[in-house]
Amino acid sequence: MSKLKAYKKRLQEAARDPQISVALERAIASYRKNVDEALKKFPHTLQLAEEVRRIKEESIPRMEDLVKEACEAIRENKGKAFVARTPAEALEIIDGIVGSGKLIVKGKSLTGEEIDLREHLEERGNEVYETDLGEYIIQLLGIKPMHLLAPAIHVPKEEVAKLLSRVTGKNIPPDIQTEVATVREILRDKFFRAQVGMSGANAVAADTGTLFQIENEGNIRLSTSAPPICIALVGMEKVVPTIEDAFKVAEVTWRFAGYTVPAYLNLVSGPSKTGDIEKVTTYGAHGPKEMYVIFLDAGRSQLAQDPVFQEALYCLRCGGCLYECPLFAVTAGRFGDKYFGGIGAIWTAFVTGDFSKAAPLTYSCLSCGRCKVRCPMEIDAPQMCLELRKRIVAEGGSSAKES
Amino acid sequence: MSVKREKRVPEGLLLLRNNILTKGNIFGSSAKARWASGLGLTSKKETIFFAGCGYQFLDGAEATLSAVRALDKRGLPWERTLGMTSFLNKLGINLGELYGKLTHRSPLSDNPLRCAVEVLQGMDIDCGCLAEEEPCCAGPLYYAGFQEEFASRATEAQRIVQERGVTRIIGMVPSCTYALRELFPRFLTEWRVEVSHFLEVVWERMKEGKRFRLPQEVTVTYHDPCVLSRNLGLTAAPRQILRSIEGVEFAEVERNKEEWSTCCGGGGGFEVIFPEISHILATNRVRELLNTGASAIVTSCPGCLIQLREGVKELKAPGVEVWDMAQLLRRALPEG
Repeated sequence: MSKLKAYKKRLQEAARDPQISVALERAIASYRKNVDEALKKFPHTLQLAEEVRRIKEESIPRMEDLVKEACEAIRENKGKAFVARTPAEALEIIDGIVGSGKLIVKGKSLTGEEIDLREHLEERGNEVYETDLGEYIIQLLGIKPMHLLAPAIHVPKEEVAKLLSRVTGKNIPPDIQTEVATVREILRDKFFRAQVGMSGANAVAADTGTLFQIENEGNIRLSTSAPPICIALVGMEKVVPTIEDAFKVAEVTWRFAGYTVPAYLNLVSGPSKTGDIEKVTTYGAHGPKEMYVIFLDAGRSQLAQDPVFQEALYCLRCGGCLYECPLFAVTAGRFGDKYFGGIGAIWTAFVTGDFSKAAPLTYSCLSCGRCKVRCPMEIDAPQMCLELRKRIVAEGGSSAKES
Repeated sequence: MSVKREKRVPEGLLLLRNNILTKGNIFGSSAKARWASGLGLTSKKETIFFAGCGYQFLDGAEATLSAVRALDKRGLPWERTLGMTSFLNKLGINLGELYGKLTHRSPLSDNPLRCAVEVLQGMDIDCGCLAEEEPCCAGPLYYAGFQEEFASRATEAQRIVQERGVTRIIGMVPSCTYALRELFPRFLTEWRVEVSHFLEVVWERMKEGKRFRLPQEVTVTYHDPCVLSRNLGLTAAPRQILRSIEGVEFAEVERNKEEWSTCCGGGGGFEVIFPEISHILATNRVRELLNTGASAIVTSCPGCLIQLREGVKELKAPGVEVWDMAQLLRRALPEG
């Protein structure tokens, strides 16, 4: 029971930390307010969510074919596309493109987090900058993210000021405006000097090979357009049949993330190009000359064929469920591994293939069911947690792959 | 089952499992159905009031949980204490009951099960109870992941219930009611018993004009147990009941109600895995409920009842009481 004990200790420490519960209390209140307003302003979202659920129900069972189609489309756009079956394979492909000694700017990506991408690139002698503000703070603090969309949700402005003062050698006051401007200045230079930009994607259209990236800060735009090489690491489950479907997925995702509309929706289908001189298509105009997309399997194809747990792949990562979880409200990302909350227990079980890692998480779910009420895909995470417990008891080998 | 596999399951849940498998109830108690003494309930009825575990052993459970919490907070291995509990159980000594006798021991007449039956009788609803012979719904086995064992206990429960010619069950504990109503049909082929919850039965009668009145006016708020609201969809009846009792000023909690209700922190066995955190969640929930200005919190689940009482204690809220709906109704039941 040592894994459970160590996990429980971390969970208890978080639950006793008033900084976490106070930050979360504010975040939950403003999330709920934002999402209520966004849904009121765009009431068609609820129906759209039902449509997206149907798109997912149709896409997931034929995920393999859709990924193949997306790869072909990307290649047609003169990008390069790969399918990595394991995290090791993905890292090997990325190593082959990046090498070492590079300056890399990176957008926030849970899939990157899943395979410890930043740590790996740093070990290979690259200088890597997280460019999402929250993620950048997390990187500076040398800790793990506490929330999908707001990784530094538990860090107050006073601590951020201390951190930035250390980095810049100047005295940065605990004023949010100044802090944001300081980070802008630090990272601006990195965007334009970086040889490689990295990102994920919220949805991918199989027919056009287009990546959909939702963001507010503008860091993903810069990461995917300023450096000469851009690489996207995407979970296989993100692919939907058409570009129209992908728009629907994107809209439901940002609305349930609490936005009426995000500042940016970035669409990337291939390397930048121009035909302005003699109508000769030439690659590498203002944007990247090379574009790579790596689709990550890591347990997803197994999940896609599992009638009980398939639903986990419908997750849009809007993060709405976390704001409704009473346990997350006091422990934040400590209730999870790389993926959080009840749904995170299922993801952990299948992407790591390690049931012993998932067991403490699935036994942390209160099975209260409020996450399901919030979820735009109506994913029944608590029920899946109970089914996972059943597998842990009944099959309980060391890995999901044995089952 | 291999040792390795068992190790993945938290010890608190293994203890509950062991109690069900050896004693037929989650607390490992040997004495059952004391609550029903003198109520004149017979087992020879088509409609049976199903008591379940939680309310029967409320005092013991509350005392044990509060002891466990104190240990857990100090980082002490309370699981070993529970281990000792199960060892003592094998010798026929029930520590929870002992604690209960020493510390809490509320009068039997105030037990929610007794109150519920008296309310049903007061509404001329004819029902019996299986008393010592009542089988365990085995729900906790399902929640802990022991679905095969759950299925076999459910089969056994079915045999007992159907042999006695029971056609209808009035459930009191939400999770038992859920197990009997939703899980049994999923795991059993021949389960043909109609299952209602106490609140549904009461509201049906109240609609026909049965009057309840409290001796003094009280501002009351309601906590939806997760299983009742989200699993059984029972949110309207308790509110209608509260609005219909004379002397009750019903103060609804803001937002976190009905299907959006916040869990008390005691779901799915969480309280026996993470006692300290469970206590924090209970306190958070009580804070939400007390924002209504109510002086009494009403709920309808033994687990919630314990959790909310602990939360009220933690917040040192003066004069705030936590009642089961059955207790409130009993108090408001017209005499004669």
